[in-house]
Amino acid sequence: MISALKLMPVLLAWSGIAAALVRHVSGRRSVLAISCASGFIGGVAGGNLLLTLSKGEIVSSTVKSLTGTCFLCLWVVALAAFYRVTGSGGQGAPGEREKPYAFTVSCSALLAGLLAGAICVCRLAPQGGAPLLSLFVLGTAGVLLAVAAIGIEQYVPADITVTGEALLALVVSLLLFASSFTLQLDLFSPLSMKVMKFVHDFVHQFFESMLVPDHLFFRSDAWEYIGYLFGSGVGFWGGLLIWFAPVVLICAAIRLERLPTVSHIRQGAQRRKLLAAFIRERNCRLIVPCFAMLIMAAAVYNSLFPSVEYWDPKPVAVTMNDSGEIVIPKKGEIDLEDGKLHKYLLKQGGREARFMILSAPDGRLTVTLDACAICKPEGYGQAEGAVICYYCKTLIPLETMGRPGGCNPVPVPFKVGADGVSLDAMTILDRWSETVTTTSRIKGGGK
Amino acid sequence: MQRWCWLMHIVLKSLVYRQGRSLLLLGVLAMAASLVTSLGIVSSAMGLRVAEEVRKYGANLVVLPAAARLEVGSGGLDFGTVAEPAYLSQEELLRVVDREGIRDCSLHLRGHLSAGGQELPAEGVDFTTIRRLYPWWQLRGGWPDADEAVIGIDLAARLKLKAGDRIRAVGTAGAGEYRVAGVVSTGGEEDKLLFIPLARMQETLGVGSSVSQARLLAQTGGVTLEQRAAWLQERLPGSVVREVRQVARTSEGLLRKVQLLMALVTSVVLIATASSVASTMSMTVLERGKEIGLLKAMGATRLGVLLLFCGESIVLGLMGGGAGYLLGSGIARFVMQTVFAVSAGIDLRFAGLSFAVSLGLALLGSAGPMMSVFRLDPVRSLRGE
Amino acid sequence: MNDKSEGRGKVTDIIETRGLTRSYGEICALKPLDLLVPEGEWLSVMGHSGSGKSTLLNLLGGLDRPSGGSLWLGGEDLMALSQDGLARFRREFVGIIFQQHHLVPYLTALENVMMAQYFHSVPDEAEACSALERVGLGKRLKNRPGELSGGEQQRVCIARAIINSPRLLLGDEPTGNLDHANTRMIMELLKDLREEERFTIMLVTHNREVAAWGDRIICLDDGVLVREERTGR
Repeated sequence: MISALKLMPVLLAWSGIAAALVRHVSGRRSVLAISCASGFIGGVAGGNLLLTLSKGEIVSSTVKSLTGTCFLCLWVVALAAFYRVTGSGGQGAPGEREKPYAFTVSCSALLAGLLAGAICVCRLAPQGGAPLLSLFVLGTAGVLLAVAAIGIEQYVPADITVTGEALLALVVSLLLFASSFTLQLDLFSPLSMKVMKFVHDFVHQFFESMLVPDHLFFRSDAWEYIGYLFGSGVGFWGGLLIWFAPVVLICAAIRLERLPTVSHIRQGAQRRKLLAAFIRERNCRLIVPCFAMLIMAAAVYNSLFPSVEYWDPKPVAVTMNDSGEIVIPKKGEIDLEDGKLHKYLLKQGGREARFMILSAPDGRLTVTLDACAICKPEGYGQAEGAVICYYCKTLIPLETMGRPGGCNPVPVPFKVGADGVSLDAMTILDRWSETVTTTSRIKGGGK
Repeated sequence: MQRWCWLMHIVLKSLVYRQGRSLLLLGVLAMAASLVTSLGIVSSAMGLRVAEEVRKYGANLVVLPAAARLEVGSGGLDFGTVAEPAYLSQEELLRVVDREGIRDCSLHLRGHLSAGGQELPAEGVDFTTIRRLYPWWQLRGGWPDADEAVIGIDLAARLKLKAGDRIRAVGTAGAGEYRVAGVVSTGGEEDKLLFIPLARMQETLGVGSSVSQARLLAQTGGVTLEQRAAWLQERLPGSVVREVRQVARTSEGLLRKVQLLMALVTSVVLIATASSVASTMSMTVLERGKEIGLLKAMGATRLGVLLLFCGESIVLGLMGGGAGYLLGSGIARFVMQTVFAVSAGIDLRFAGLSFAVSLGLALLGSAGPMMSVFRLDPVRSLRGE
Repeated sequence: MNDKSEGRGKVTDIIETRGLTRSYGEICALKPLDLLVPEGEWLSVMGHSGSGKSTLLNLLGGLDRPSGGSLWLGGEDLMALSQDGLARFRREFVGIIFQQHHLVPYLTALENVMMAQYFHSVPDEAEACSALERVGLGKRLKNRPGELSGGEQQRVCIARAIINSPRLLLGDEPTGNLDHANTRMIMELLKDLREEERFTIMLVTHNREVAAWGDRIICLDDGVLVREERTGR
């Protein structure tokens, strides 16, 4: 089944979480198995319940905020670990590590299971309730995989140890990886968007408050470099930095830890042997955080190149008739009311404009430009239940199409007649040039 | 980490000690990598370039109505059509062509008009597209403006017309008078035709907005011409899409043959390089037999000694890859400049290929010697056997 | 042939062989040999070339595998070790010095010693420096083997052999290529080191004077132990 294929990576991530938890506690398998299983089932049931009650928005935002909170926790822990190792003569030698309480670990197992279950359900059916059978199958699959992972974990070489921070890093990275498969739950794109907007606003305000007039003090190529700050590149690289920083800090904290003293041993060879053993043990502790880094990179890759195919038809050329109107028939070759996006290209006297017609789920037709008022006009595509702006990767729910504002495409007035939709060509062309000229200036210039 | 630093240190010292040998291997690897890089860059650029050159030869696809019979005749003898003329719908054609993104499409409408009591074959065309798609048209006189005509050289001789004269052509549904703007000579069938604007031809023949054939220039990036033709045919029911075989096929075929040749040359060079690396490395291993035996006597595991030698191969491979990429890019740039008169940009994709080739050759070539290192008996080598 | 009375219970035997043989095809280099060496002893093995003394050394150093018999060193059964096990044994338990001073030609004296450290665990420059100073080469650390004299090279080999604190030091005619003065110097050095570190030494030599430095001398002829004597040191 296709859904089984879709869920495979998410379930594998979940089993990885279970295995990591067990390795950290090194024992108490049954307790952990129970908490993992119950967490997962709770997540699946709760997620599905919420999905059927609300429309899907609430669930995705809840899951997203929970995962985001976990990520922030990871940030805090990473900074603390790094400070502990580098600042004010930190020691934190491995021998002094406390034994992790089984209670805290099982609580975290429960939480992780809840989140993982919710993510699985969202992946299975982002819109609403999935059939009971598939939920049941999902629940059992999750439980079985967790138990299997806990069982298989004892065959993983015992050298690979998992410290507390590394465990958190791995669990969070696996959760982020799992959620990167679903468009609505993905965290990297919103992060890079926020970074881009932040930088944009910051530089904007900076130039405004400095009262720098255009072009007066800077040469034009300096503006080009400044223009980079406004592009999406800064969002991407800034987001990447924020994304990887915690795991890198944890790796650095482990690497920079001071090795236990061996100077009390007289014989040189013994000393060196002990030292070599310590180094090897430290390197083994680095394996898990490095693996977590790979997982984070995979999550970024999923976010950038989602396996979702965007429905983006080639714009059909239309011309205006003698009265300056464009008439597009509702039925015929293209059925306007099939819930899919239809794009059109209008060329008139050297000017051109792209617009699209979409039938929203509540039945009304919306006609909008293929550009929004904020971003560069790279166009839109349609994915499950939403329209996505290619430039900033924002998802616009189908219900809000036709309303202006934000990253929504600019609406265009139209009349629905018996034969089809009629639009005024000049309005479209004018509105297009307006939108495009404002948004194109984002790349260069300070205003 | 200190162990890795030490290993690197030893590897580099070892390479520097045998400078001559290392430089030789480096040179060989760099040469192979540069060959692969330069041929790869030139080959990929050539593909684009040839496509551009093909454009100069005009249309590569022709769309005919399915019901049209072949023009009966051979070579210069034209016996005319044998059945009722069939037409294609102009709007349909333009729509499909536009959707496919084909920009150059010239429409033709053939028919017979009478002028001065004589029957003459005429064709309605759009002169702007003709200018683009038919660069070999030699026009004596000038290109026509609106409502002007062009006459073929043979026809001009028959009717005793030249540029600037006026001609009156009568069709089944109308008539028109045109000024002859120029006389065309191509050596083909155009020499016998009268060319008038398409719209006027359609009026004169009274066929509405139909055409008798369309010639297209389709880009073949990514899909072969045959696939393009098949797609178009699907979308234009009632029509037949054929390739204009003259140049398109041959240039594509030629390009493919040249690329195959370059690939063969490259593989031969790679094999030679691998064997050269292998022989150099095995000689090195023979020479260093005592050293290897000593290391094993000191207590090094077999893998430990192997790591040392692999490290040397890897370092040489990486350096060879880098040098090969730079050299190859330079060579490719030179070749493109002189042969194609095109300046090539920096292509980083081939950096990866260059490194892969160099590393692969280094490791492959040293695979055999590595095995003998692995199996070396320290006692015999220390004794000097 | 062997003194079993001294073996059990009183002094731990660092080397214990029973019926140890080594044959190369049809040629038997070492006939069945029983040998017991208590810890801390300086044993000299004498014999002409071809008498099997080098073979015995190679077997005891873990460089070669016996064809038959049993071989126990430091309580470990060498016959049961794999190739990698033998490698570990070589680097932790044994130090070997050869007649031709085998040093890595492109590394300095210091780096040669650190090489042994690297294969053992981690390289430690300070320790290697002090080891070389102990053998009297404090000023010649950064010299390549090509720039050192025969005696100096052998001293580097000694430093390298004992850097990992082995319990057994094997020498295959270490002074064979050296002149009289250097020979004396090397033997004095070995004696001093042995007193400090308390390892067992087994030297193979054909030189009577060199052999007399040891506590016990055994003579091999054609793979058979023919004579054994104590020197009274």
